[in-house]
Amino acid sequence: MAQSNLALSAQPGAQAYADAGDDAARFGPRGIGARLLRNEDARFLAGHGEYLADLNLYGTMEVAFFRSPIAHGRIRSIEIPEEVRSRVFLLSDLGDVRPVRAVLNAPGFRGSDFPPLADGVVRFVGEPIAMCIAPTRAEAEDIAQQIFVDFEELPVVTDMLKAADGSAPSIHDGWPDNVCFVSTPGNGDMAQAERAAVVTIERDLHMHRQCVVSLEGRGVLAHHDRRLDELVVYSSTQQPHIIRTVLAPLIGVEENKLRVVAPDVGGGFGVKNNLQAEEIAIAALARIVDHPVRWIEDRREHLTASPQAREHHYRMKLHADAQGRILGLESEVIVDAGAYSIWPWSCAMEANMSAGIMPGPYRMDAYRGRGITVMSNKPPLGPYRGVGRPGACFALERMMDELARAVGREPHEVRIDNMVLPGQMPFLTIAGKLYDSGDFPESVRRAAEMVDVPGVRAQQKDNGKDGLYIGLGWASYTEQTAHGTNEWLSRNLTEVFGYEAATARFTPDGKLILEVAIQNHGQGLETTLAQVAATELGVDPADVVVRHGDTAVSPYGLGTFASRSMVMAGGAVGRAAQMLAEKVKRIGAHFLQTTADKVTLEDGAVVHGPRRVPLSEVARAAFRHAQDLPPGEEPGLSVTTTFQPESGTGAFSYATHAVVVCVDANTGLVKILDYVIVHDCGTIVNPMIVDGQIQGGLAQGIGNALLEESPYDETGQPLASTFLDYLLPGFTEVPSARISHIVSPSPFTRYGIKGMGEGGAIGAPAAIVNAVNDALHGLGVEINETPVTPRRILKAIERAAKGDRP
Amino acid sequence: MKPAPFDYVRPRDLGEAVAALSEFEWGARVLAGGQSLVPMLNLRLSPVLRLVDISGLEELRGVEEDPEGVTFGACVRHGEFEDGQVPDPARGMMHHVAGRIAYRAVRNRGTIGGSLSLADPSADWITVVMALGASFVIRGAAGERRVAGSDMFLGPYSTALGEHDILAAIRVPKLGRSARWGYYKIIRKAGEYPMTTASVVLDPDRGRSSVVLGTVNRGPLEMARMAAGMQGAGTWSAQLEGNLREAIRLDLETAGRDQDSCEMKLCETTLLRAAQSALVQ
Amino acid sequence: MMKISLTLNGKPVTVDVEPRTSLADLLRSPGCGCTSIHLGCEHGVCGACTILIDGRIARSCIALAVACDGAEVTTLEGLGEDELTTQLKDAFHCNHGLQCGFCTPGMLISAREVVARNPQLSEEELRTAMSGNICRCTGYTGIVAAVSAVAASRASSCTSES
Repeated sequence: MAQSNLALSAQPGAQAYADAGDDAARFGPRGIGARLLRNEDARFLAGHGEYLADLNLYGTMEVAFFRSPIAHGRIRSIEIPEEVRSRVFLLSDLGDVRPVRAVLNAPGFRGSDFPPLADGVVRFVGEPIAMCIAPTRAEAEDIAQQIFVDFEELPVVTDMLKAADGSAPSIHDGWPDNVCFVSTPGNGDMAQAERAAVVTIERDLHMHRQCVVSLEGRGVLAHHDRRLDELVVYSSTQQPHIIRTVLAPLIGVEENKLRVVAPDVGGGFGVKNNLQAEEIAIAALARIVDHPVRWIEDRREHLTASPQAREHHYRMKLHADAQGRILGLESEVIVDAGAYSIWPWSCAMEANMSAGIMPGPYRMDAYRGRGITVMSNKPPLGPYRGVGRPGACFALERMMDELARAVGREPHEVRIDNMVLPGQMPFLTIAGKLYDSGDFPESVRRAAEMVDVPGVRAQQKDNGKDGLYIGLGWASYTEQTAHGTNEWLSRNLTEVFGYEAATARFTPDGKLILEVAIQNHGQGLETTLAQVAATELGVDPADVVVRHGDTAVSPYGLGTFASRSMVMAGGAVGRAAQMLAEKVKRIGAHFLQTTADKVTLEDGAVVHGPRRVPLSEVARAAFRHAQDLPPGEEPGLSVTTTFQPESGTGAFSYATHAVVVCVDANTGLVKILDYVIVHDCGTIVNPMIVDGQIQGGLAQGIGNALLEESPYDETGQPLASTFLDYLLPGFTEVPSARISHIVSPSPFTRYGIKGMGEGGAIGAPAAIVNAVNDALHGLGVEINETPVTPRRILKAIERAAKGDRP
Repeated sequence: MKPAPFDYVRPRDLGEAVAALSEFEWGARVLAGGQSLVPMLNLRLSPVLRLVDISGLEELRGVEEDPEGVTFGACVRHGEFEDGQVPDPARGMMHHVAGRIAYRAVRNRGTIGGSLSLADPSADWITVVMALGASFVIRGAAGERRVAGSDMFLGPYSTALGEHDILAAIRVPKLGRSARWGYYKIIRKAGEYPMTTASVVLDPDRGRSSVVLGTVNRGPLEMARMAAGMQGAGTWSAQLEGNLREAIRLDLETAGRDQDSCEMKLCETTLLRAAQSALVQ
Repeated sequence: MMKISLTLNGKPVTVDVEPRTSLADLLRSPGCGCTSIHLGCEHGVCGACTILIDGRIARSCIALAVACDGAEVTTLEGLGEDELTTQLKDAFHCNHGLQCGFCTPGMLISAREVVARNPQLSEEELRTAMSGNICRCTGYTGIVAAVSAVAASRASSCTSES
């Protein structure tokens, strides 16, 4: 058997604790588990959020990039009118700047350089060629409009299947074709599975390319701080420390002379989780001019030149017995990673993640995965909420519905029968991931109850009346979060993001500051990290200052991505606060003439029976009157420490989505009638924020399923460059999901927390497309691509009416 | 995404506005509400040398009602129709349509004349005013002229307006007491540009029925056979629907539209739903 | 450059602007300082730059500053004392109606107009009325709850008055 159960001391499985009262008992009334309103809201509600474009540094010049108008070409010459030449900067004008080379330390990985400005060749429409500076952005754009580039046009690759089969010319010098990397996870005896299979389902599926669309675009401002003699780079980024580390050598600056600051960030979702070419270019420019320079990405740049997402093609083969019990899964995913490899993830991230997580919540005896990363003349692919998993979930869950249909059973029942059972936790999957805890089948059972399967089936008897068709769709998935050291090593990344750091320190008046290396851009971490500290220190979380997003204010850490901040930074804050609490208790106990083990921390004081010493008194002694400290106690109240989860593959959240849709066969429009999510992310730190993350992820999943697509024509020109072509889900397209929680604390993390930022986006494309298929099945329709646009639906209905099978 | 520089003039009257346009052989544009034009400027889609801002001209904001119809100044805003601040000669149709154009923030500034002058084929007003038999008052260097609805819209973004003309007013005849209307559009999300629109107006008192189809990338299309099929129709029936389907097919065929099956389906659905809503009103 | 005068948040302002400068860019400039206006698309779709021009909501990214000469302009900065805005802010806070905060000022201004115009909207009508503002974080649930709550409180006070 490829499966194995590890004997671990922690108690796994669903430990659904009754209500929040339990959390209050364990973590304090305003600690972990409390539905606290957010500390960070006040500044945003006042309109006082300070985003990159709001920074007001004297003498700032604005930058407009001149970007490639063609998808692939060699630059013969660049004409710049003499009168603006001094305000235009090409790569050759920037002095010593190196391209970034984002690779995996894996045999067979083909590397390529991504220069900050074009180095003789352009490989996608929108690739930066020159920077133009002027007092206003409008004037900078005027200059950009005067630049003329003479190109020798080169063959354009836009079809990933041709890129994968070697029939397209290579876009990188020295490569035999456009295949960058192939990963082959898997285990078990596929031949045996094939022999034993009663049913084999085979399908090709496609998830089209899309954009990320943070409402605030990317942006960078850089200047030289003369007093400190350091280069300061403000960037709308999710990971300032990591950016500093990689940026420093590329522009020839030492890390102790480089400060990276993320101001308020207006949404990230992954697109600000990379080293950006523009970051290198702007930082390099700031070294050679004597004033601040700033670039603010506009929406057209965001839609056409930012890192994009998805674009997966799947070839799936699922072997099962007559009951629909999975015996083996063969899966090939081809990912069009665009023109360049993005640091630090590399262009292979999507394909590798998808292939690695493919088996999902199911048990199977054999899995053969293949993740193929190909290059094309499109913008580079970067992380976007879900990374690989929305595609994997879409492919596998579509197969599960088809499997259920083939064996004549309800899709949710087939899922239940195949899932890892709570008693098997922790469970090592056939793809090598260690599932920590949970009751997967219960998520399906509960969702089935909530969505009322018999009721929906009864409603479907009227399908076809007025051209309307109701359908029920399912998706279950596991969400790998807070990936630990082993995971990053196994992915052969050059960086290992297995820990996070925090400082907890009191000020002399007894107030608490937390300094963390993550970046908060909507996740509520200024509140939830304060709740963790409150749990350990008995302080009022509304009174805790959380500082983040700045290499100058926190210890080194890795940033906010991969649903890691609550587990990692929460763990680090918890550890630091606990260590700080021990010292506070010792000092307080000294005042109370007792021992540290006899006191508790409550309501901002050290308490011993009826007597209490306020933290302000403890801090006063620690900082200002060391003579009042216990003998041998060091002055000061500050602890810096780190946290890493016990399991190298992290903590796994999971959920089941069930959605009821109505498809209008006369328009191809899909209306969502009901959306149910049963979700487990272990210990919940703040239920309000968790539900907000689920609902927000769902909205993006709905976009992925129904609306959002970034198509390219055969010459590599983007066809969606404004919000008129690129449709985002709005108020009327996103219903409020009904959310229910199972709570299975992770045995591998502090407090049992699991990450959960991406799940909403992972399940929705699969569930919605399954629902559309369920609705239209009676017409002989099958659709296996996202987004399911009116055109795709109408075309599928038409094909089915003609008797063509997809 | 900032506009290229341009010259800006705010004329005191329509005559001055036309003169300000005429100073440029090409490249001078009229600015009314700006809700379509300014985005195009921001995107630097085409060079604009001068903007002639007519939004402040009182003579273009007036509304004149007489027994036969209403003449709307070109700068009456969508929101004024929505809020009932101007009379509706179409028994509620203009009010209904206006309230569904884009978003409230756009309706507060966008004008009926601006929208019609741009002639974006998927915008709401075109099919409506054509179906209502509106005519247009155009002011140019040679003075004022009137153009009938059917002669106004020549194709996508193409109208009878010359380079130096300004649409001054829209004259909409009043519908008879027993008139009925229907409007339908297919949108992928609230407020977005429709994929298809259709206006149906049945006015037995004036012996007139009209159906106009609007689609992306093509000019508005008068559906003559369908309109004839609607004339005298009482209630919605399967037979009527069948007849209309055939009429739609023939109308589109006559127009020589090389629509694919998907566009056909959307057009048919839009037209039938507009027709149905006219009859069940 | 052209000289224009505005009443900005109740105060008279006279400035020189290029004809091409949007009202949003003018108001966001250091001289005016209204950085609650956020630019999310600069083509009038996302709603993050929504403000009031002569008391009506408008997209400041597609309003030319020169065309607003003489107008009365109100941004979120000018609604600090506004009772309805304060209620909405409280409701957004209590209902988790914001995450990254970028859409929030425009959202508040649109919500204020929606509630003031008709507090007795159904949820579907409210969603349609708010659909000119995009939020990429919340999935709208918290915003709908917040605006509904304020609308309900006003609807009930309207009823009790009548």
